Amino acid sequence: MKKLESRHWAFLGLAIVVIGTMLLNLEPDLDVSPDTIRMHAFIDSLPAGSIILVSFDHEASALPEIKPLATAFLRHAFGKGLRPVGIALMAEGTAVGYRLMEQVAAEYHKQYGIDYAFLGYQPQYIAAILSLGESVKQTFPRDYVGHPYDSLPLLREVHKLSDFGAVISIADGNMVTHWVEYGRARFNVTVAAFVTAVMVTSYDPYVSSGQLRAMVGGLRGAAEYEKLIGIGGAGRRGMLAQAASHLYVLALILVGNVIYFTTRSRKGRG
Amino acid sequence: MSRRVAQIVCAVFGVLMFLLFFSGHPTAKAITLAITTQYWQVIAAFALIVGAVSFVRVNVKAIQRRQDIPFRAIGLLGMISMPVLAIGWGIGGSSPFLWVFENIQAPMQSTVFALLAFFVASASLRGFRARSIPAAILLVSAVVMLLSRSWFESTTSSFLLTASDWLRNYPSMAARRAILIGIGLGSLTTSLRLIVGIERTWLGGSR
Repeated sequence: MKKLESRHWAFLGLAIVVIGTMLLNLEPDLDVSPDTIRMHAFIDSLPAGSIILVSFDHEASALPEIKPLATAFLRHAFGKGLRPVGIALMAEGTAVGYRLMEQVAAEYHKQYGIDYAFLGYQPQYIAAILSLGESVKQTFPRDYVGHPYDSLPLLREVHKLSDFGAVISIADGNMVTHWVEYGRARFNVTVAAFVTAVMVTSYDPYVSSGQLRAMVGGLRGAAEYEKLIGIGGAGRRGMLAQAASHLYVLALILVGNVIYFTTRSRKGRG
Repeated sequence: MSRRVAQIVCAVFGVLMFLLFFSGHPTAKAITLAITTQYWQVIAAFALIVGAVSFVRVNVKAIQRRQDIPFRAIGLLGMISMPVLAIGWGIGGSSPFLWVFENIQAPMQSTVFALLAFFVASASLRGFRARSIPAAILLVSAVVMLLSRSWFESTTSSFLLTASDWLRNYPSMAARRAILIGIGLGSLTTSLRLIVGIERTWLGGSR
């Protein structure tokens, strides 16, 4: 049998930490960050009945972070009486977005075509945003499941991008940049985003400049949003595992540096 | 001759799209809509066909050479079965297409992405060391950010939160802004070089 190396022990330790903390199933209380408070206040400020565009701009690989974020946001939106219209600018976001909207809408007894709709996927994201700015109907002549655009009462109320109260991009990459550069700059629509933690610093300049109205990032952001809307979910359930794995990584960094400096001082003396 | 035609098409559409972006004239809007909803999508569809044909050819050839047969067969099966399921039974709520996506594709992709955590753990132990002053600064910043995102209510040190906010709002944002401005200027320069025909490598020739 092959001898285990240091990295294998590190892998094993991480697996034990994550599985162990997930099995505890605790939902620790959190401080809510100003970013999350800003987003919550923004969604709250939209009048009930507002039609918002929710763009699922992510791949399936980001689901563990994206799903809690999107679920918390949709619960808030449906609870507030907003009417979301879903689209996807990345192919894999289509099925995820459709299913999530369907599930959360059912929790609030919302009716498809009246309280919400899902238009599906449009390739070539820049072209799609520019085209939405001119005509939503010509960009999506049918919804995701094939209903003609005009057959859904909700869609008859929106003609172009600027008719939406806001665009909410749920993203794991740089799609938010395109919404800011084309949606915000060209058509003056308000853009806000729910993003994976790794993308937060990429969009900080846009939040700072006001081009991005608000942003919530990562599993921590989802947990904070769940706290604000008062409904628990996968964000808060996963926080203990995430925090424990962060601390585990810090411990590994510490151990690695202790070994490095000890070895270096021994070599120096030798 | 064919390269010259391609170059002229590129220049014309480059200038046209630039002008259309800033015009609010109804004719300009109609042209934008036609380009974005029709021409651009047709080009994307052809690119997809090229990708799909290339995927099939590469994998079929590999199977004929008896290389990694199970993996390549599964790849081909996946590519063929998803359109068949979508066309045959639709893509709605209880369709087999959505079932396969939710129960096979999404968990597999999430699993592969989650493996990054193990690489991070390994790198933390073996590579993330304060070998120099810049490396030490990076290390301390990373520790502050990780700790500030890991603590819970009433255990979070206000110093950690202040420090992590400062890192995000000043050094990180300054660097990000510089990168964004650099990307913007680079894109502008490259676009101009393409439009005026200085940059010709995309045609397959020399500069």
